[in-house]
Amino acid sequence: MNLIQSKKNLLDKADFQIMIKTPAYIHFHQSGMMTSVQDWARYDMVQYGVPYSGVMDRISMTLVNHLLHNPENAAVLEMAHVGPKMVFEMPTRIAFAGAEADIYLNEKPVKLGKVYEVGEDDVVEVKKFRRRQWLYMGIQGGLESEMVGNSRSWYRGVTPRDKVVKGDSLTYMYEDRYFPPENSHSKIKANWYKESAIKVFPGPEWEQLPNLLHNRILSKTFTISELINRMAYQLEESIENNTEPILTAPVYPGTVQLTPGGKLIILMRDAQVTGGYPRILQVDIHSLNILAQKRSGEKIKFSIIGDE
Amino acid sequence: MQLSIFRIHSKLVEISWPKEISETVLSEQLIVQDFLWKEYGEGIREIRMGFNSLSLKLKIEISKQDCQDLLQEIHELPFRSNGFENKIWNIPVCYGSSMGKDLEKLAKLHQLSSDEVIQIHSKTTYTLHFYGFLPGFMYLGGLDERLYTPRKDLPERLIQAGTVAIGGRQTGIYPMDSPGGWFAIGKTPLKLFDINLSKEKIPSIGDKIKFEPISLNEFNSIQKESIGQS
Repeated sequence: MNLIQSKKNLLDKADFQIMIKTPAYIHFHQSGMMTSVQDWARYDMVQYGVPYSGVMDRISMTLVNHLLHNPENAAVLEMAHVGPKMVFEMPTRIAFAGAEADIYLNEKPVKLGKVYEVGEDDVVEVKKFRRRQWLYMGIQGGLESEMVGNSRSWYRGVTPRDKVVKGDSLTYMYEDRYFPPENSHSKIKANWYKESAIKVFPGPEWEQLPNLLHNRILSKTFTISELINRMAYQLEESIENNTEPILTAPVYPGTVQLTPGGKLIILMRDAQVTGGYPRILQVDIHSLNILAQKRSGEKIKFSIIGDE
Repeated sequence: MQLSIFRIHSKLVEISWPKEISETVLSEQLIVQDFLWKEYGEGIREIRMGFNSLSLKLKIEISKQDCQDLLQEIHELPFRSNGFENKIWNIPVCYGSSMGKDLEKLAKLHQLSSDEVIQIHSKTTYTLHFYGFLPGFMYLGGLDERLYTPRKDLPERLIQAGTVAIGGRQTGIYPMDSPGGWFAIGKTPLKLFDINLSKEKIPSIGDKIKFEPISLNEFNSIQKESIGQS
């Protein structure tokens, strides 16, 4: 009881103090392969052809920010394939979610979905990715990279940087305050990633396909190809078609394009704002997170949502 | 014109025009866009355009019946000249040689001289239909049929920022370094798109674009000036 009481006093005291925040840095001794800063999205500049960008898996971003009691849109570090080696200049708290990878804090293994205290000069290293595609690190208060068009998400030609390189530094705010220990951490339910059915709506050009192709596309199991990045995921199997080309038209993250050569291309968060291939399907916003976490070689099936 | 409406889901709807690239379609798109923002602005998150499409992202949910009603309302709009002010943007371009290394190749393909290509390309007034492909990339309508050129089979690894190029039935300016399959015919010394530019300094949909041939010397001096400014 005493202990709880004293913690409470400390907490109250902290609340009344003026919080002093000073910038501190994460130094990258290794960059990783696809390490970047992302937040929810950049919606404000689409009129000028600027993609939305933002995290590939919003569920994992939401989770790390929730664990750290951060604002919902606090910027996080996104990683894939090979992770970075980072040194923290000042104490802070971090949490990971998304891909299963070998993560170490001062050489001790780190779990997903749990808050870790990081001390001055502590080293965090992300090594081999085991399962799923994208890993997220949230940090107390969020990463402080440049705000462009109301978003911190990195994109080439829009923000000064598009991915972390060796020797880079990122800013976060160090707060000299007491954080109550996280006694309970929300259990990660990783099951949702296992879903292979990707929910879709018919796209503007769906009705131009003959019924035979509708059936083929909806009954087929597709394989995620090697061609996957923040812009698009291409599927392995081909669907022969004679679909009429379209005039360049709006596309969104989740738009499924069918090329004249029969390839299905699913546009992801860094998708261009317009495209010239027929748009046969549109992936449901929740399923897009599931899809993003599939790796090359994994299987998916499209399942049409009948709404109303 | 006869429009159609397609509801992708309860918050995403597309209105389409007949399949053509034309000023008539563009002016109707702008009238519809203006009407939608004025009448239903509170429920709209974003409006985005293609050559013959206008896509509506909504904050609220829309039913199939709502879509039909909306289309009906749009068909009843007076599609008269909208009175939008369209600015004309003159863009200096140094054609050929090192600035447009595909100019001669393109001229040969069409059995024209390089000068004829320059003349045809620079006397046309183009219309900005929308932005896409890359941040700041303008989709321009109006290319003279004589210059329609299929894209290269193998895209170039690097087309430099500022390059003016022709691909298919379109001409455009690469706002940043990018791979691309279009024929490079010239280059502008202007930095056309910058995130930090104010709206007035960026062409709007419906504005006119003209290319003005300049010499290599002029190119260099304009480039120096604009570096001095930033």
